[in-house]
Amino acid sequence: MQMNRRFFLHKGALAVAGTTAMPNFLVRSVLAQGVGAPGQRLVVIFQRGAADGLNVVVPYQEKNYYKMRPSIAIPQNQVVDLDGFFGLHPSLASFKPLYDQGKPLYDQGQLAIVHACGSPDMSRSHFDAQDYMESGTPGVKATEDGWLNRALQAEDTCNCAKHRDEHTAFRALALGADVPLTLAGKIPAIAISNVNNFTVAGRGPTPSPAASAFEAMYADSGDRIFHAAGDETFEAVKMLREANPAQYVPASGVNYPATEFGNSMRQIAQLLKANLGVEAAFTDVNGWDTHQNQGGVNGQLANRLSDFSASIAAFWRDMGDQGANVTLVTMSEFGRTARENGTAGTDHGHANAMFVLGGQVKGGKVYGKWPGLEDAQLNQGRDLALTTDYRQVLGEVVTHTLGAENLELVFPGARLSRAGFLKLV
Amino acid sequence: MEFLRGSIHNSIAIALCYSLCFPAPIALAQEAAAADQPSAQAHSRAQAQREHRQTDISDHLEGDERILQALDRFTFGPKPGELEAVRQMGLDKWFDQQLHPDSIDETDLNARLAQFPVMQWSTQDLLYRLPSNAMIRMAINGRAPIPEQGTLHAVYENQIYRTQAREAAQEEKKDNAAPTPGAAAANAQSPAMAASAGAANDMDANAAKTEAAAGTATMAETQQDMNNMAPAASDQAPEVSEQQIQEILKLEPEQRVLKLQEMQPAEFESFMKALRPPQRQALTAGMNPGLRESVEDLEHPEQTVAQELFAVRLAHDIYSNAQLQEVMTDFWLNHFNIYLRKNEQMPYYLASYERDVIRPHALGKFEDLLEAVAHSPAMMIYLDNAESVGPDSLASQRAKMGMARRPNAKRQDPPGINENYARELMELHTVGVNGGYTQADVIQVARVLTGWTVDRPQFGGGFQFNANRHEPGTKKVMGTKIKENGETEGRELLHFLATRPATAQFISRKLAIRFVSDDPSQALVDRMANTYMSTGGDIPSVLKTLFHSPEFWAASDYRAKVKTPLEFVVSASRASDAQIENYMPLVNALRQLGMPIYGCTPPVGYKWDAADWVSTGALVDRMNFALSLAANRLPGITVDWAPDLDMSALDSDEPAKQVIPTPESEETRLEPMLLPGGVSATTREAALEEFQKQNAQNSAEMTPVSERPAQMRRANRAPATNVYQREDQLLAGLLIGSPEFQRR
Repeated sequence: MQMNRRFFLHKGALAVAGTTAMPNFLVRSVLAQGVGAPGQRLVVIFQRGAADGLNVVVPYQEKNYYKMRPSIAIPQNQVVDLDGFFGLHPSLASFKPLYDQGKPLYDQGQLAIVHACGSPDMSRSHFDAQDYMESGTPGVKATEDGWLNRALQAEDTCNCAKHRDEHTAFRALALGADVPLTLAGKIPAIAISNVNNFTVAGRGPTPSPAASAFEAMYADSGDRIFHAAGDETFEAVKMLREANPAQYVPASGVNYPATEFGNSMRQIAQLLKANLGVEAAFTDVNGWDTHQNQGGVNGQLANRLSDFSASIAAFWRDMGDQGANVTLVTMSEFGRTARENGTAGTDHGHANAMFVLGGQVKGGKVYGKWPGLEDAQLNQGRDLALTTDYRQVLGEVVTHTLGAENLELVFPGARLSRAGFLKLV
Repeated sequence: MEFLRGSIHNSIAIALCYSLCFPAPIALAQEAAAADQPSAQAHSRAQAQREHRQTDISDHLEGDERILQALDRFTFGPKPGELEAVRQMGLDKWFDQQLHPDSIDETDLNARLAQFPVMQWSTQDLLYRLPSNAMIRMAINGRAPIPEQGTLHAVYENQIYRTQAREAAQEEKKDNAAPTPGAAAANAQSPAMAASAGAANDMDANAAKTEAAAGTATMAETQQDMNNMAPAASDQAPEVSEQQIQEILKLEPEQRVLKLQEMQPAEFESFMKALRPPQRQALTAGMNPGLRESVEDLEHPEQTVAQELFAVRLAHDIYSNAQLQEVMTDFWLNHFNIYLRKNEQMPYYLASYERDVIRPHALGKFEDLLEAVAHSPAMMIYLDNAESVGPDSLASQRAKMGMARRPNAKRQDPPGINENYARELMELHTVGVNGGYTQADVIQVARVLTGWTVDRPQFGGGFQFNANRHEPGTKKVMGTKIKENGETEGRELLHFLATRPATAQFISRKLAIRFVSDDPSQALVDRMANTYMSTGGDIPSVLKTLFHSPEFWAASDYRAKVKTPLEFVVSASRASDAQIENYMPLVNALRQLGMPIYGCTPPVGYKWDAADWVSTGALVDRMNFALSLAANRLPGITVDWAPDLDMSALDSDEPAKQVIPTPESEETRLEPMLLPGGVSATTREAALEEFQKQNAQNSAEMTPVSERPAQMRRANRAPATNVYQREDQLLAGLLIGSPEFQRR
């Protein structure tokens, strides 16, 4: 039987030395000062299709922005101002309070933005760029595990004694039908598309005969892949039955949008609150590939952003004071062209904007060096230039949340240093 | 996604190298035949022997396992009895027949497809007779005709009523919330955009809800003149009494339809809402397909299109005898992926895309298929080429002049190039991401293809080359000049791309992944690519090379591919000989398993390797599907596990004739039917053990074994499930949910 390498790595029990296994001296690297706190959780959101960062966090003081986007630009008087230079798309209005106010729970805003940020690889292929971003090794196609999985591995190897000793089947969680590359690797990850249906043959308090038969069948199976998946499945089903996440209804007054993404965020909150041992959660949201008629203040992109921001804002309110231990980060494979194209849309570009939201985030600020939007300042004459490698942002986040100190393990070859951190966490 | 990641080697060099040893694998695969042929050259035999030594011969499949390997890979899974049928016919003959689908009898499939007459209509007819929401909005605006009488008139009336009710509700909501300045104006400016965003469909209500807001808001302004017609959301709908419902349900089918047509839209809406589920079923009971469709159209014409599109696709996959053609149709539909909800017209276009573009070319020349796809309105819309305009074209010049005359018009940029299709044409359809093109080539390809558009897509128009939009001048793609020549430039380009060695490699690797293994050997891919190049991209020839390659018959790859959700659901339906009246439970299962039909948003399509389809959540869903299917819990889908028992024997008093099925005997009977390759002893024991435990536990409530025949006799009179049927259902469900059934 041909064993798929990525899957092989994904199932911990069978793990051989991974492509990213590090010698011990690197494990005790220069980054040995641990700041990760136990009980911290990381939520990762991938906007698939390349979101148009320039219309998401709008540099509304750039004259050339309006020149290059005659029909889709967000007018100055319509942006939700952040700092006198950048403004949010009006559909992101629900982000504004998160950006501004910390009270009553926090001393500062919890939402930070990093602009002109992304993967340094120049690929304009969605699929290559997503793989690069998810593997955490831009330009290297051979990587078969994801950065978030390696961040959990790094947590296990850290010397800071702050990492958790025991992990559950829910440690690495993906909301959706399958495990994304971001979470693939040695640490077993679980994918759930609907928490309420996550049971075999009925929802009773005890396993049905059919469920028991399946459990025995997979537990004793000589089929290694399905044996491993079966073990995880029945452990997770059991835990979920005991935790009964149905009792974790959204906090009063919190309404998630009735969308796929809204449902995913609601279920992530449910599973976090059910204390199942989730350390890293992932979900994605589609529909950002706006080649045609993307709209301005209203329209296609505006609709995506409404769903996006309303779901995240609802999640944040729903988590309440538990948000103190949650960090949420968003990304998209690349940005879009600075100029609108011939069909009132935008084509594949380069740098983008990331959101970082969390109880420990130093929010209320747009981070990163702004490269400018004059023609001469554009990447290859067509896109927002990149000034912050997204791995720099994620490196800082995983150091502080998961206690993943060995960043050379998480992002091999990136040579991240603490000096380069934006100090946003 | 391995095929996207794998680097493409210097295929010319490999092709040359390979041509030296070309006859080897064929000689090897047809060992016996080759040995009998004195004409076989000594040279090639030596080559064959050399390859023999390289490939472990003990690793090769023999006998029935060869047939099962072929059935697993070239069909959507064997049906009961199919192993025997292929054994009778001979494997080589069977494969040859599969390569010639026109010679295969499809009486059964055609009878089933007759349930869906509208799927034979042109896109234009479909859009007119089962109007989309966009069509209804145009009808409200007077931009599309409203049929004057009959069912069609009622369909439009009902939909107009619904649209307006929805908008009234929207308005009310808007008035309560803080209004967004300029929202209506911006939407009114680009109705096409609103239309594409407003793809509301009950089956995806969650995703559509927010999007629909834009679509309905578009009408807010234009509709103001029609305020008198528009019902307020808070209007009381007319009451429908139980008696009224009973009276209508009592009518003959034709009369029932007439009655529904006569109803005023508000009344019809209330009537349909008042029906309880069994009454809803009774409403269409006894109707022929045409009448049943009429009722569905009155209710939700747009949904009918999508549902029948799914049903027809699944009916082919499950019931077609030309299985290889259907497997290849699925392969190409994924290769040339299109997303159902790109806009409101897409479900309408997809009916023709599958029927006229993909299936007829599935086992033909790749270039013909590529041409057909490039000329399909569906692809031109999905990847935005329909909108692409040459910056120096006549259309662009005119737009600039128009803008100069109206400097205050909102839109200031002339229309221009859209690179979406150009990029995916190379990256995903032909040479692959490492196929040797640059960003400059993408722009050049986009210029070549300017003017390839669709005639009035809102009405379901066809492909059109619009010379006014075509970019003038010579283009240069990957070092090759394409001289200015209108639509012919595009044809030259497609020919150029279809004949690249990189394309041969890319397509061959993808086929090898689908048919052989997640990680096919480069030697196999090279051999297939070589055939591709020497036959002008003839897909049956490439498949023949695959069939005659030792890699295809490697024992290590036998039952090693993990089934995708589609392969799992379809193979389960085939293996259990499911009789399907209603395909929606399968459609929903596929959505839950993460592989909705026509539901892959990005153009790359679904992935084929195991890593993407084995996960904790997916296993839960697969097990539940297996149990539901086997226990007849999917509405409108019937499976029958009963053997052809001689029931009179059970009534007989002669002990010798009393055949008492045991779980073991039933397992022995069901296993070869569902999994002709068998299951492991572990699986078998696990299924039986729990089963016996359950029987022991329940023996108090359930019938003791000694009394079973009596129980069966009783059950035989009443159609409710008896103890044997429940046993069979559980056993079959466990077998379909077993690890062995997840592979092919």
